[in-house]
Amino acid sequence: MALMTIAEALRQAIREEMRRDPRVFCIGEDIGILGGFGGAFTVTLGLSEEFGHERILDTPISETGLIGVAIGAAMAGLRPIADVQYGDFLFCAMDQIANQAAKMTYMSGGTVKVPLVLRAPVGATGRGAQHAQSLEAFFTHIPGLKVVAPATAYDAKGLLKSAVRDDNPVIIFEHKLLYGSKGPRAERGALSPVGEVPEEEYLVPIGKGIIRREGKDVTIVGKLLTVYRALEAAEQLAKEGIEAEVIDPRTLVPLDKELILDSVRKTGRLVIVEEDNYTGGWGADVAAMVAAEAFFWLDAPIVRVSAPDTPPPFSPPMEQFYVPSAERVVQAVKSIL
Amino acid sequence: MATDVLVPPLGQTVDTVTLVTWYKREGEAVTQGEKLYAIETDKATLDIEAPASGILRHITAQPGQKVRVLSPIARILAPGEEAEAVPAPTPPAAPAGAPVPPTPAPAPAMKPPTTPPAGRIFISPRARRLAEEHNVPWQTLQGTGPQGAIVERDVRAYLQSQAAVKAPPVTIGPAITPPAVAVMQTIPLEGSRAVIAQRMLESRQTTAPVTLMSEADATALVELRRQFHEAGIPVSYNDIFLYIAGRALRQFPRLNASLEGETIRLWDEVHIGLAVDTERGLLVPVVRDADRKRLADIARETQRLIERARAGQLTPEEMSGGTFTITNLGMYDVDAFTPIINLPQCAVLGIGRIVERPAVFQGVIAVRHRVWLSLTFDHRLIDGAPAAQFLQRIIQWVEMPHLLLI
Repeated sequence: MALMTIAEALRQAIREEMRRDPRVFCIGEDIGILGGFGGAFTVTLGLSEEFGHERILDTPISETGLIGVAIGAAMAGLRPIADVQYGDFLFCAMDQIANQAAKMTYMSGGTVKVPLVLRAPVGATGRGAQHAQSLEAFFTHIPGLKVVAPATAYDAKGLLKSAVRDDNPVIIFEHKLLYGSKGPRAERGALSPVGEVPEEEYLVPIGKGIIRREGKDVTIVGKLLTVYRALEAAEQLAKEGIEAEVIDPRTLVPLDKELILDSVRKTGRLVIVEEDNYTGGWGADVAAMVAAEAFFWLDAPIVRVSAPDTPPPFSPPMEQFYVPSAERVVQAVKSIL
Repeated sequence: MATDVLVPPLGQTVDTVTLVTWYKREGEAVTQGEKLYAIETDKATLDIEAPASGILRHITAQPGQKVRVLSPIARILAPGEEAEAVPAPTPPAAPAGAPVPPTPAPAPAMKPPTTPPAGRIFISPRARRLAEEHNVPWQTLQGTGPQGAIVERDVRAYLQSQAAVKAPPVTIGPAITPPAVAVMQTIPLEGSRAVIAQRMLESRQTTAPVTLMSEADATALVELRRQFHEAGIPVSYNDIFLYIAGRALRQFPRLNASLEGETIRLWDEVHIGLAVDTERGLLVPVVRDADRKRLADIARETQRLIERARAGQLTPEEMSGGTFTITNLGMYDVDAFTPIINLPQCAVLGIGRIVERPAVFQGVIAVRHRVWLSLTFDHRLIDGAPAAQFLQRIIQWVEMPHLLLI
C-alpha cells in the first residue's frame, strides 16, 4: 500500500484505466503541456509523457468546445475523461451536459451510450465567486447524470475507475482543498487527506456510501470537505459524551439512501452539512427523503448546515464565515439534542 | 440573611411531592406569606407561601420535578446579597439501580427559545412511536427536547420510572394472562389510583373484615331533614349520619380505634372521614370532633370539604387523622354493600339509598322510608356482638332521632 494524496490517486486511476483500455483518453485545458502543472491541480501531471498528446488532449480555452468534443467522442464509442479546471466552468457547457449528454440514452431508447467522465473541482478556496462554487446540487437535479463526490484518496481512485467503466455520463466533483496538490499548486488552507491506496486493482462501486465514524446520538451527513468538518465536530462532541455518526455518501446520484436511513433509524437525529447554498441544496433533498422514509424514527427536526444564499466571497475572512465550520456543526447538533 | 425555601413536611405518609409551578421567577422580589410555588401530593395541589421576604434566587427544582419534603429548592436573599448555590434537591428515593436518563449539555445560541403554544404538546415522531408502542400517556410527559418537545429519552425515562413503580412492597394484583381481546385504552396504575389500589388491597389483606347489614326505618329521619330544609337549614343525610355516628362512636369506643402492632388504641377524639367521589378518584376528607359538633356546623364543614375535594384543593391535613369513615352510595341506588376499612381505622359505615318500601309498621303494612346500613369492622379489634350493638344504636337513632335530644 502506498500513501497518496487524492490528486495522486486520481492520476493513478487515470493511468491504470488508460493502460487497460485504449479507448480511454483525457481532454482539457493545459492538462498535458510539458513543464506545465498537469491541469489546474496536477492530476494529469506526467501523463502526456506516457500516453502522448493524442490521448492527453490539450484544448483551447473553450469549455463548450472541449465538453462538446468529449460528449461526441463518448457517443462515438470512446471513453473520455474531461477536465474543466474549475467546476464553475461547467455552466459554459450546460446545454451540452443537461440537454445532450444526460438525455441521449433516454431519447434514443437506450441505443446511444454516453460513457463520459467529467472531472470538476469545487469548493471555496480563496478564488472568488466564479472559481469556488459547490455545484453538486445543480447536477444531481438532472436525470441521466451520475454524480460522484469522493473525499479520500482510496475512494477517489476507486470511484474514478468505476466512472470510466460506466456507460453513463458521470460527473466527479473533487474538492480543491482535498487534492493534496503540492508545490505552487497547493491551496491555502488545504487539508491533507493522504490515504492508503492499495497496489492491486480495486473499484469503489458508484452508489455505495460509507460510515466514517460510528455513533448513536446523531447522524451527520457530509460530502467532500464537509465530511472532515463533520468528523471534527464529532470529535468535539465526543468530549461532551455525544456520539455522532458521520456518513459520507461518496456518490450523490444514485444515493445510498438505505445507509442514511438506517443510521437515522438508529440515532433519531440528522444534521446535513454541505458547502453549497442553502436553498434548493442537495441537503434539502436528503432531508426530504429522510422525512418521507424515516419520519417515525426522527426524534428531532432535521437540520442543515450550509453556506448562506450568496456567492462565495473573495475576502478570506468572509469566506471563512461563509463555509460551514466544525463549530457550526457542533452547534447544529446541540440544537436538536 | 439568606433563607432556604424548603418543601414543607406534609404528614407522615408524604415524603415526595411534585413541584407544579413557581409563582415567582428567579430574581423577583417576594414578600413573606405570599404564594411562592405550588406542589402536588398524590391527592392534592397546595400553594406554599414564601418563608421570608427578599429576592428569589437559586431555584433548583423545576415544574414537573419530584422533590423530597424538607429539601431546599431555592433561596431568598436580601437585595444585593450573594450566597452559595443551593444544592440540587434530593431526588425522590429511587429504587436502587434505577437508571437516570442522560442529560445532554444545554445548547448555546442556536436553540430556538420557543416553547409549544398553550394547549399544544410537541412530541417527536420517534417519541410518539415509542410511546404508542408501550401505551405511554405521552400527553402527561414533560418534554426535554428542542422547543420543549417530548423526545425519545423522555418516554424512556417514563418507562423506566414505571418499571420502578411496578415493584411496590405490596403486590397490587396477581400476575394474570391477558385475554386475547383488543385493548381500548391502557391506564397506568399511578398517582391517586395507585394509592387507592394499594390501600384497599392492604386493607383486605391485613384486616379481618366482617360486614353487618341491617335495614332501618328512615321515615323519621326523612321527615326531620325535610323540616330542617323548610327551616332554611340545608342539612344532608350524610350530615345527619355523621352526627349520629359521632355520638354512637362516643358510646362505643371500641369502634373508634386502631390496631398498631400488638396494641389497640381507643381514640379519645372522634374524627370521621367522608368518602367523596371526585374526578381525581376517591377522596376522604375528615370532619374533626364530629361527636361534639352541632349538626349545622357539620353541614357547613362537609359542604366546604366536598367543594375543596372536587376542586382538588384538599390539604393533607384535611384528609388525615380520621378515626372512622362513612361512605354513601345511596345516590347511585345501591341498597347495601361491603365497604372496605380505611386503614388504620377499625370500621366503616356504608349507607344505602333511602327509598320508600312496603314495611310492617305498628302491625300493618305501610309505605315507609327504608335504608340499608352496612358496617364493616375489623374482627381482630372487636367481636361481632359489640359491633352489632353499635349498628343497633345507629339504627335506633335513625328511626328515633328525637332520642338524640336526651
